[in-house]
Amino acid sequence: MINNLIRGIASFIILVLLQVWVLNNIYLFRIASPLLYVYFILKLPLGISRCYIIFFSFLIGLVIDMFSNTPGMHAAACTFIGFLREPVLRFCVNRDLESLSTPSYSLFGLGGFFRYALILIAVHHILLYVLEAATFVSPLLLTVRVIVGIALTLFLVCTVELFEHKR
Amino acid sequence: MRKLIEFVLHKKHWLVFLLLEILSLFLVYQDNAYQKSVFLSSANAVAGRILSVSASVNSYFKLWDENKLLQEQNRLLQKQLLALRRQVGISDSVDFQGFMTDSIMPYFPYEFITAGVISNSVTRLSNYITIDKGREDGISPDMGVVSSNGIVGVVSLVSDNMSVVIPMLNPKLKLSCRVSRNTYFGTLVWEGKDETEAVLTELPKHAEFSIGDTIVTSGYSSIFPEGVCVGYIAGYEKSQEEAFYSLRVKLATDFSALNNVLVIKNYNQEEQLKIEEEAIGNDK
Repeated sequence: MINNLIRGIASFIILVLLQVWVLNNIYLFRIASPLLYVYFILKLPLGISRCYIIFFSFLIGLVIDMFSNTPGMHAAACTFIGFLREPVLRFCVNRDLESLSTPSYSLFGLGGFFRYALILIAVHHILLYVLEAATFVSPLLLTVRVIVGIALTLFLVCTVELFEHKR
Repeated sequence: MRKLIEFVLHKKHWLVFLLLEILSLFLVYQDNAYQKSVFLSSANAVAGRILSVSASVNSYFKLWDENKLLQEQNRLLQKQLLALRRQVGISDSVDFQGFMTDSIMPYFPYEFITAGVISNSVTRLSNYITIDKGREDGISPDMGVVSSNGIVGVVSLVSDNMSVVIPMLNPKLKLSCRVSRNTYFGTLVWEGKDETEAVLTELPKHAEFSIGDTIVTSGYSSIFPEGVCVGYIAGYEKSQEEAFYSLRVKLATDFSALNNVLVIKNYNQEEQLKIEEEAIGNDK
C-alpha cells in the first residue's frame, strides 16, 4: 500500500517534470506536442475508489495547466477521462481484475492495453483541443491536430509501457 | 431518506466528477487574461522556478545562434552609427569625442529591459510566453516585448520575478500596424494556423504596397514605439464586398526559437492613456 503510494507520487512528479521540461518543447510537424503525462492516469492502480481516481486526474491536469498557461483545459479533459476510466476498463477487459494491480501489457494483453490507452487518450485529446479551439472554427486543422496528437501520445505511452513491461 | 443517502453515497463519484468538471470549465471560461490569477499561471513562483531550470539548460544549446545574431546586430548598428556620423558631418574628425547630441535630439521616452524566455509555445491556438523578469525588475502589464528581429507581444500578467507575455501568436493580441513606406494602417491578428504568419486586416483598398514590403508598428498605441519591425508582406487577398485588403504577413520574429527578449518601458504611457481616456470621457 505504502509502496504504491510512493510509486504514485514519484511517477506524478517525474511525468509532470518530463512533460513541462521536455515534451512541451517538442512540436512535431509544428502542429502538436505529445502529452505523455496521461500515462499517470492510465497507470493508477485498479481498485482505488472512483472518487480518488477522478480527483488525481483533475490534480495532474491542473498542475500541467499551471505550467502551460491553459487554466482549466487539461484539468477538464483529465477529469473526464478519470471518470471514464472504470467503464472503459470494463469494456476492454472482460474478466475480473485483481485489486491494486496496475494496468499493463501482462495484465490486459497487448491488444487490451492498446485499446484501453487508445480510447482514453483519444477522448482526452479531443476534449482538450476542442476546448482550446472554442474561439476558432477551422475543423480541418482541428482534426489534423487531434489525430497527430493522439498518435504521438499513444506511441509514447506504448513505448514507455514496453520498458515497464520488460523490467 | 436513508435510501436517498445510500443512493447518493453509492453515486458519489458522479458528484466528485461534476464538481471538478464544473470547476475546470469555470477556469477555462474565466477568459479575460487580466482577471486570471497569477497563482494558476506559469508566473507563480514555483512553476516559474521549475520552468527556468529547463530554460537555463536550453539556453546553452542556443548560444551559438545567439552569438551569430549578436554579431549581425553589431554589424548593422556599427553601419548605422557610421552613417549617422556622416550625416551629422563629423566623420572626418575621427578623434573628436566631445560631440553631444542631447540638445538637438528629441526626447526619447522608451527604455528597454532585457529578459530571458523560460517557457514558450507555438503549437497551441492561444500561445503564451513566460519570461524571467517581473515586478521587481520594473515590468508591469501592458508593456511591449520585442526580440532582436521584431515584435514579440505584450506583457499580460506580472508576479514578483516572472511575467507572462501574450505573443503575436495569440488571437487575443490585436496590433495596429502600417506599411513601412506609407502611412496606411491596419490591424494585425493571428489566425492560429502557422506560427510564421499573421494577417493584417482592415487595410484600406486604396493603399499601395507590394509583396515583400516591411510592416511596422503604427505607434498609435502606447505600447510600442512607431516603426518597430513586425514582418514582411507575403501575399494578399481582396474580398469583393469589403473595402479592405487583408495581407498575409511573414513575421520577422521566429517564435519557435525565442531565447532573449527586450521589454519596452514607455515613460509616457500613463500620460497618454490618461489624456486619451479624458478625451473619450469628454465626448460622452
